[in-house]
Amino acid sequence: MTTTIESFTTSELMVVAGARELRDGELAFVGLGIPQLAAALAQRTHAPRLVVLNEIGLADPHPVAFGVGNADPRHWYGASFMGSFNDVMGKLLHRGLVDVGFLGALEVDAHGNANATQVPRVTGGIRRFGGGGGANDIASLARSTILIVRHERRKLVERLTHLTNPGFLDGPGARERGGLRGGGPRRVLTDKCVFGVDESTARLVVHSIHPGVTADDLREATGFALDVPKHVATTEPPSAEEIRLIREVIDPERRYTKSL
Amino acid sequence: MSRLTSLSDAARLINDGDHVALSGFSIARNAMALAHELVRRDVRGLTISACILGLEADLLVGAGCVGRVIYGGGSLDRFGQLGRVNEAVERGRIEVEYMSSLAVTFRYLAGSLGLPYIPIRSLLASDLVAPLVAAGVAREDRDPFGGEQVVLLRALEPDAAILHAQVADADGNTRVLGPRWDNDEAVAAAKRVIVLAEEVVEPIEIRRSPELTLVPAFRVTALVHVPFGAHPTAVYRRYDYDAEHLALYADATRSQRTFDEYLARYVRGTDHAGYLAAIGGAAKLATLTADPGLGY
Repeated sequence: MTTTIESFTTSELMVVAGARELRDGELAFVGLGIPQLAAALAQRTHAPRLVVLNEIGLADPHPVAFGVGNADPRHWYGASFMGSFNDVMGKLLHRGLVDVGFLGALEVDAHGNANATQVPRVTGGIRRFGGGGGANDIASLARSTILIVRHERRKLVERLTHLTNPGFLDGPGARERGGLRGGGPRRVLTDKCVFGVDESTARLVVHSIHPGVTADDLREATGFALDVPKHVATTEPPSAEEIRLIREVIDPERRYTKSL
Repeated sequence: MSRLTSLSDAARLINDGDHVALSGFSIARNAMALAHELVRRDVRGLTISACILGLEADLLVGAGCVGRVIYGGGSLDRFGQLGRVNEAVERGRIEVEYMSSLAVTFRYLAGSLGLPYIPIRSLLASDLVAPLVAAGVAREDRDPFGGEQVVLLRALEPDAAILHAQVADADGNTRVLGPRWDNDEAVAAAKRVIVLAEEVVEPIEIRRSPELTLVPAFRVTALVHVPFGAHPTAVYRRYDYDAEHLALYADATRSQRTFDEYLARYVRGTDHAGYLAAIGGAAKLATLTADPGLGY
């Protein structure tokens, strides 16, 4: 189980790192792609009682095929409950019962605030995407969130284009002063490192660096001021068993774990 | 009393300038056949709303039927973006009430209960609030009992809600199978309800299991029997989404020119039967039939 494996992709490492952040018994929203694979891996390792929710209105699916999004019935298969958006997002999330949301973002700032709405176009004006949907609700109300973002200067930014999903706003205590009941980000996962949160500043700090990435690489790819401690942990590589589960059970077609 | 009518008569229940709550969520259970009919009738100035917009919304916006959109998000999932909606928003061609999806649902919920407004605990401290306050549909306030900060949201009472459903009887009693996203609240909040049903069953079948009825007949204004009326989106336990056609649409909606070509080829100057023939007819539709065990 603790045997490490020499060869793995960055996305496989991200799935494993994400899975390790999910705890047994939690009620969780997980985004498409790596978060969803991380939940599937966690359920097959240390968190068999992790329950996944889908905002479309269902709970605890056990899909046997990959779908294209929340609205794909492939992601509904094997659910224990089907109802409405309000049943899940209102009566569970707004009620304060959801433990964690594992969310993607277009941009993330140093306080873990996120943009899920629009980015500037190089040619001027803005570019819209799919919109935040329920992400603001999850970021506001879940007991914690884990964010996932590609580690690039244009994505880890000093100033967001749009603050769609509140993190720690402008510093310690700001969420509470703003009336937000949820706990905010506990981790930010990228393809270069895992960030944690410094409680005294409510800023992202490097929790572990992925194998092969240097402190200089991190500073270079981060758009906000970043202190990388001299002695920082390396993200624990996947075990042979985790790799086997990803390649044979969870993502056998290698849709999300082939490269990167 | 039968509420069965034709698609064209049902479309006449939607007037220029109406607020219409839509049926679909991304690529699931969009009321495409009615959206097509509204495009053919050149309806103008609609306000459309949904917690998550789908293909039907993109089609209506691209065809110039929409003046305002109330939504939390929307896409064609991995097939692509709602190109016509996004471009209209980017260029300021339509008015926008953009909020969280729960905010849209809560606003319908308030409307469904006859309440003027509803508090919500999300949206706070985000960039979503100020435009909603400016538009006069939200206000930051405090709970008068406990003093906690909340955002008050104005109720939504759509002129019409469109619902694509698996099963109804001719009276209009309607069942929806699978997850229902914001359909429950949107339909209950609306003044008129137009149902498109894949299958029309005998009333006795509804009355054998009335607990499965989502909308009772007396809340339904008109019912249309439209097999494959949601194509190319998925109808749980009936048929899968049409991946080939969704990919084709996702390409078409990237520009107005290609979108207009799509409308000319598949929507304008034809009817639902003509549309189904154009997308590949019975042979294509047979490939989409859902496996009863899987639901897709």
